[in-house]
Amino acid sequence: MNAPAPPSAVVAADHLSKWYGQVIGLNDVTLTVPPGITGLLGPNGAGKSTFMKLITGQLKPSKGEVRVLGEPIWRNPALYFRIGFCPEQDAFYERMTGLEWVTALVGLNGVGETQAATMAHRALETVDLLEAKDKKIGAYSKGMRQRVKLAQALAHDPDLMILDEPLAGMDPIGRRKTIRLIKEWGRAGRSIIVSSHILHEIESMTSNILLINQGRILAEGNVHQIRDLIDEHPHTVYIKADETRALAREFLSYDDVLSLRFEDQAVVVETGKPDVFYARLTALAASGDHGSIHEVTSPDDNLQAVFKYLVKQ
Amino acid sequence: MPIHDQGYRRYGGTRTPAGQAWLVIAKAGVRTFLSKKGFLGLLLLSWFPFFVRAVQLYAAANLPNAAMLAPDAQTFRQFLDQQGTFVFFITVYVGAGLIANDRRVNALQIYLSKPLTRAEYVLGKLAILMTFLLLVTWVPAILLLVVQVLFSGNTTFLTKNLFLFPAITLFSFIYVVMVSSAILALSSLSNSSRYVGILYAALLFFTQALYGVLRFVTGNTKLSWMSFSFNLEQVGDAIFRLPPRYDTPWTVSLLMIVLLIVGSGFVLERRVRGVEIVA
Repeated sequence: MNAPAPPSAVVAADHLSKWYGQVIGLNDVTLTVPPGITGLLGPNGAGKSTFMKLITGQLKPSKGEVRVLGEPIWRNPALYFRIGFCPEQDAFYERMTGLEWVTALVGLNGVGETQAATMAHRALETVDLLEAKDKKIGAYSKGMRQRVKLAQALAHDPDLMILDEPLAGMDPIGRRKTIRLIKEWGRAGRSIIVSSHILHEIESMTSNILLINQGRILAEGNVHQIRDLIDEHPHTVYIKADETRALAREFLSYDDVLSLRFEDQAVVVETGKPDVFYARLTALAASGDHGSIHEVTSPDDNLQAVFKYLVKQ
Repeated sequence: MPIHDQGYRRYGGTRTPAGQAWLVIAKAGVRTFLSKKGFLGLLLLSWFPFFVRAVQLYAAANLPNAAMLAPDAQTFRQFLDQQGTFVFFITVYVGAGLIANDRRVNALQIYLSKPLTRAEYVLGKLAILMTFLLLVTWVPAILLLVVQVLFSGNTTFLTKNLFLFPAITLFSFIYVVMVSSAILALSSLSNSSRYVGILYAALLFFTQALYGVLRFVTGNTKLSWMSFSFNLEQVGDAIFRLPPRYDTPWTVSLLMIVLLIVGSGFVLERRVRGVEIVA
């Protein structure tokens, strides 16, 4: 490695690349992931799953090196005991019960059958699935399936949990529960790498994020710093209101408004200071001086747009 | 940097040494099949020829008029040949889905994220099928030897045919390893156990039929190496010191069997991966 990774780093990648034939999955990534919860944020196809498969030892790097918990992960299955992996895809025998499935997988970690059943039971309790432990997985809802996958990742008390889109397809209540669980695990001292393509999901779990797009790490660090980076770029806000012309006149007096245009019943504003603009807009809507404001949306909330900004930079 | 309380418990109990995870796979698989009534019925049925042979051995040992039933090396060779039908059905029943079902439900990715190597996974799967196949070949054949000694009340036959124990053992293991590795390789090629079963049967019968046609055309049996079941027969005859059935040298037949096993190993190496890469 060019510069040794900090001893506390849970993952250290050095010029890590992965190609699938002519297709680049991950391109020359050098990074260290500190202990605690780290969010891996990127749009679909960005390379998140490739990165996760590399750090779980399921893919061999085409180039570079990756170390997990201080050891090389490739062809090091002994290290897998210290890792809990929750894949994005379902991987169930639907005729098995949740308890049978988790117990069978815990058994692969080398623990005895009785101990595996105890650990599985405890993990299912943690993810709030104890009541459904004897139900066939085929009868589980999407949220329950996600939680039973989390249970198998958690059951053997790993030091590092790698969770690939754990909130995908969950209902709002399931999401809230899972986010709470992940934060609790983080507080308890586990290191967790969690991927998502939704910024606010990651923000609700951790402030430490990695931004990935097109196989490259675009930014890493505190989410607020990255937000600042994002916020330096023009931010588009779509405002649907009764009196768009009056609103537009008001906006033109703001020094942070860079441009505006009309679309149907809406005015589309480009601002250089989104936080300031939103604060003013909220006050404006509350005063009712310019009629009703029906809808405020920001295409910039679409992560792909954010990445385009970063890439252009 | 956040301060964590390290409140979670790390597992502090005992663990089996590395390299034994295949036993977990094997045990779970064997239990799964033994819990199926249909499969238990098939296993019981496969022992029917054993009881018929046991009656034959009893009659030969105890009835003066049944001397023509006296056993020889061919008796045991024929018994293993007869078990071929059950070997086929058990191979398809057990083997077809061993990897295909895991592929269908994406289980490989999660299995191989555990402390389990690909070799251990394959070994575990092989062990499941080999256990059942040895249970219908090697175990009853060896028991027949024991039964012969018990019924005759002496070890004369056994001492005269001492080679039978290693012959039964060697032939059974070659047989079982060959069919197990072949069906496992086929199972790794598909997500459907049904297709795997059909493919296995088709390959078996197609190679036999192809050889049959060529034998008719050429008028000799030199091309028996084309059929894996005939290769097995040829090698079996050599192991049991019996006259060969075909003109193909038994060494060529053995080479074909070895090639099949090596080829199956190559396929398994390519196909058993946690992540399927489509470049």
